Amino acid sequence: MFQFSLVEFSLRHPKQVIWATVALVLLFLTQFPRIATDTNPKHMLPENSDVRVWNDEVDRAFALYEDTIVVGVKNDAGVLNRETLARIARITGAILALPGVASRDVNGFTTITNVTAEAGTLKVGPLMPGAPQSQAEVEALRGALFGNPLLVDRVISKDGKTTAIHVPLEKGANGAVIAGNIREIVAKEKGPERYYVAGDPVARDTFGAEMFKLMGIFSPVAGMIMFIAIQLMFRNLSLSFTMMGVAMAAIIISMGSLIGAGYPVHIMSSMAPVFLMAIATDSIHIFNEFYFRYREKRNKLDAIRETMAAVSRPVRYTALATTAGFAVLLFMNIVPVQVFGGLIAFGTVVLRLFSFSLIPAILTFVKEEKIARAVEKESAELNRTSRFLRKLGEIGATRPQATALAGLILVAVAIAGTTKIHVNNNLVAWFKESSEIRIADTAMNQALGGTSLGYLVMQANEPDFVKRPETMRWLEGLQRHLETLPVVGKTFSVADYVKRINRVLHDDDQKFDTIPETQDTVGQYLFLFSMSAKPADLDNVVDPTFQKANLWVQMKSWDAEAMRQVTHAADSYQKTHPLAATVKPAGIAWFNLVWNDEVLGDLVLGLGLALVVVFVILALDFRSARWALVAYVPLLFTILLIYGVVGFVGKDFDMPLSVMSTLSLGMAVDFSIHFISRFRQRLAETGGGTSEAAVREALLWTAARPGKGILRNALLFAAAFSVMLAAPLTPYMAVGAFIVSMMLLSALLTILYLPALVMIGRNWLFDDPKPTANPAPAIVKGD
Amino acid sequence: MKTKFASFRLSAKCLLKALQRRLMREARYAGTKHWWIWIIAALLPLAFTSQAQALSGEEVMKKSQAAFLYPGKDFKARVVMKLINKDGQERVREMTMLRKNMGEAGGDQKYFLYFFQPSDVKDMTFMINKYPARDDDRWMFIPAINMVKRIAAQDKRSSFVGSDFTYEDVSGRDIEDDTHAVEREEKVGDRDCYVVKSTPKGADSDFGHKFTWVDKANFLPLREEQYDRKSARYKQFSADEIADVKGIPTAVKRTMKNLQTGHRTEVAYLKTDYGLGIEDSLFSERFLRQPPRKWVD
Repeated sequence: MFQFSLVEFSLRHPKQVIWATVALVLLFLTQFPRIATDTNPKHMLPENSDVRVWNDEVDRAFALYEDTIVVGVKNDAGVLNRETLARIARITGAILALPGVASRDVNGFTTITNVTAEAGTLKVGPLMPGAPQSQAEVEALRGALFGNPLLVDRVISKDGKTTAIHVPLEKGANGAVIAGNIREIVAKEKGPERYYVAGDPVARDTFGAEMFKLMGIFSPVAGMIMFIAIQLMFRNLSLSFTMMGVAMAAIIISMGSLIGAGYPVHIMSSMAPVFLMAIATDSIHIFNEFYFRYREKRNKLDAIRETMAAVSRPVRYTALATTAGFAVLLFMNIVPVQVFGGLIAFGTVVLRLFSFSLIPAILTFVKEEKIARAVEKESAELNRTSRFLRKLGEIGATRPQATALAGLILVAVAIAGTTKIHVNNNLVAWFKESSEIRIADTAMNQALGGTSLGYLVMQANEPDFVKRPETMRWLEGLQRHLETLPVVGKTFSVADYVKRINRVLHDDDQKFDTIPETQDTVGQYLFLFSMSAKPADLDNVVDPTFQKANLWVQMKSWDAEAMRQVTHAADSYQKTHPLAATVKPAGIAWFNLVWNDEVLGDLVLGLGLALVVVFVILALDFRSARWALVAYVPLLFTILLIYGVVGFVGKDFDMPLSVMSTLSLGMAVDFSIHFISRFRQRLAETGGGTSEAAVREALLWTAARPGKGILRNALLFAAAFSVMLAAPLTPYMAVGAFIVSMMLLSALLTILYLPALVMIGRNWLFDDPKPTANPAPAIVKGD
Repeated sequence: MKTKFASFRLSAKCLLKALQRRLMREARYAGTKHWWIWIIAALLPLAFTSQAQALSGEEVMKKSQAAFLYPGKDFKARVVMKLINKDGQERVREMTMLRKNMGEAGGDQKYFLYFFQPSDVKDMTFMINKYPARDDDRWMFIPAINMVKRIAAQDKRSSFVGSDFTYEDVSGRDIEDDTHAVEREEKVGDRDCYVVKSTPKGADSDFGHKFTWVDKANFLPLREEQYDRKSARYKQFSADEIADVKGIPTAVKRTMKNLQTGHRTEVAYLKTDYGLGIEDSLFSERFLRQPPRKWVD
């Protein structure tokens, strides 16, 4: 068999194996400098996905910018005073001079288009061309701001304490650099004002930086923790180094090939090093068994061979299950999840190849006396841990009914919890509440119209359809309808401009704050407006042929639910107010909603696929569907219990968690595989009797001996992932918590619950006709 | 005027030569002791060449403005503007444009615009009294509500009827607002041109500097490249077709392209004419409401 020859080859040529590995690692390491991150949430879905194609179309049709930075300026005493306004003018001026800023469409006090009538003269132009020189000018500005509903909640808060400068970026501009420049600009101003730099590009950049932190700091820390844990378990430095070396080699090769293949590192793949490190701990079963064997044999090479023979089958199948669990992700719709799945599946295969080559090769170099010493120490501790595990197994094995019942009750409660699960991806909530981004987002949402932006695009088939008064009134009605939703902070459309001009032309008479009666009037108003306004002012809300109108909806929450409410409200409005036009949502908020639903779909699909695949692998491994079913139980229970807790706690079920639940099937099943494989081996080794006493004794042996490997594996895994609990981004924390609890729970359930199930279903299980009497390969003795 | 310039240039050249010859002689007597005289003598011509050689940038731009924006006592054209976005979508503006000079080239002008397209703005009229050194007066007639409204003209750099041309691109920018320098001479097509760099003296314009290719023979601007305040290429003007109208070379097709947005405006002047005898009375509120047929068709 392939593995055996690989093991033999590695035992005979250990040096070559090690040097070859080192060379391979160095080769993949050369790819690292080319690393690029991608934190653009848009890239969660493929470029040709309907929502992205449509959003790009909308961006083009209405000359919209992909990225906008919003600079908030807050003064608790109000921003409408000469000092603050002078600062705002200076800051805006400096921002306009920044490379990469689409200066022509920057909207702040000094640049935003205002439509007013002064002394019978229509004035369309920048609101505040220069900083006011007198109190009278400040008061005039106050009048202009609060007299124009287009400006309130956009560049001025209702309480007059906050203003915003909207800074669109040219295509391909570096948002991180520009945000940095803006921070430098505002830092130069000394005054009571507070500044917030927010917007997608800032969030993405911060996310990217945190990602690097996670990879650069958290992965090594996780590695260190694992190293210490292994050292405490085996008390042999060379063994600990072997394990870490194998993990590092696999990480470097996997990440190297990811980078080399030209994939940017995304939120999911940034977690890959920690995952691979944790998956590498599966080789703990090799060391665990090696220690036992060595104590029995006192011959290193024989011990290695026997160890590899004994654990090869479970290790192979757990690797297969893990690989399959991750490979399932390749069928998902979300791009970074696909990449992540492929990456870890690949890394797992690499890890397993090392298990059968590098590990035996390195073991040949470990000095026998050192192992002997470590084994002596180990032995004392072993008895304690093993006794505990044996007792744990005993509970299940001697009181199977009670154990099973207790488990069932727990699961029933958990299922009740799962019904409370709420799927939601709130990208801003991925940052901690104390983070600069959350603070800025909260402040801006409190003061202004809302940071989450969605569009409703109205499309008709006739040119100039938008200019019709009934269309205008329809748009206006839709806006008022949407504004009744608490999540909607502000809406605006071309109708607002028309109403504004109508009013201003009629000496600011409130009576004329309406849509005029004829299409010609609307057309002439808009023409008048376009003669003096910035081209983008009109382009952003209507297309050149006036067949489409773009209604801007600012929401105060990034929850997908907010946009869902908006689209529902738009649908219901259309039903009660039919118009010969369609309305389609667009924008980043719409993207988030679509993506959110994809996550939910993926979750269901992924779980289904993973359940089937894992079951098939179990059935193949055990050559028995019944045993596969039993092995399935701890796994299912673990997942249900965690889901239950997530539901009760009320945590948003987001993309990282959904991915975790899919692939955790592939990881959690490992323990069942080890337990059942080794239990059946043991039963065969000890004579194959299936009497109650024999089965119980074999179960208790398994709980005590391979059980120790399982416990060690779980502890190591949990230790590595516990680092993520301290991560600055909540998805990482959630993933950390998920994995830690999953590992500990599934280890516990395996050792406690499996014996109970085996005892209960003993007759049924052993009744199962088997193709061969002994599913595990015979132990190879000697050569 | 021309002869005066020529004679001045001639005398300056003679003076320079004489001065140089004199210095050389001095230097020869002084030997190596006064080596610096040699250097001054050698460098002297360099210091004067630019002034002595040709027209200054300001003179070129003045002549260009006169040729491009002030020819004839008055002017009439049917103007078709196509506003074309990045995706090739077009919007059309069609109007009759009347212009009357109120004095010398570079002085006050009156413009009268009557719109035909888009169809819903038909009968809209627009009047501009242009003053070089201060804000224009602008009035608009809005037929749908039968109202003449005065429109504030605080920004001459704002778009002209929604096109990529600004008011200044259409009616001229005050020569005094910029410093001008002839950078080089270059051919555009087969026409010899001055290339003039103009840099605004103030900070209120949307461009940081611009280059204009001015035809040496007829002083029409054949090409213009505007750079924004960050020195990035911003807008590009080209005179695409020059026709001779009553002996006056006229740019009857022109394009302004915004290189940053990809938006461009193509303009065609049809039925161009000069010296029609447009009365001053045309430029009044009464005719703004009801323009005489003979002028707008």
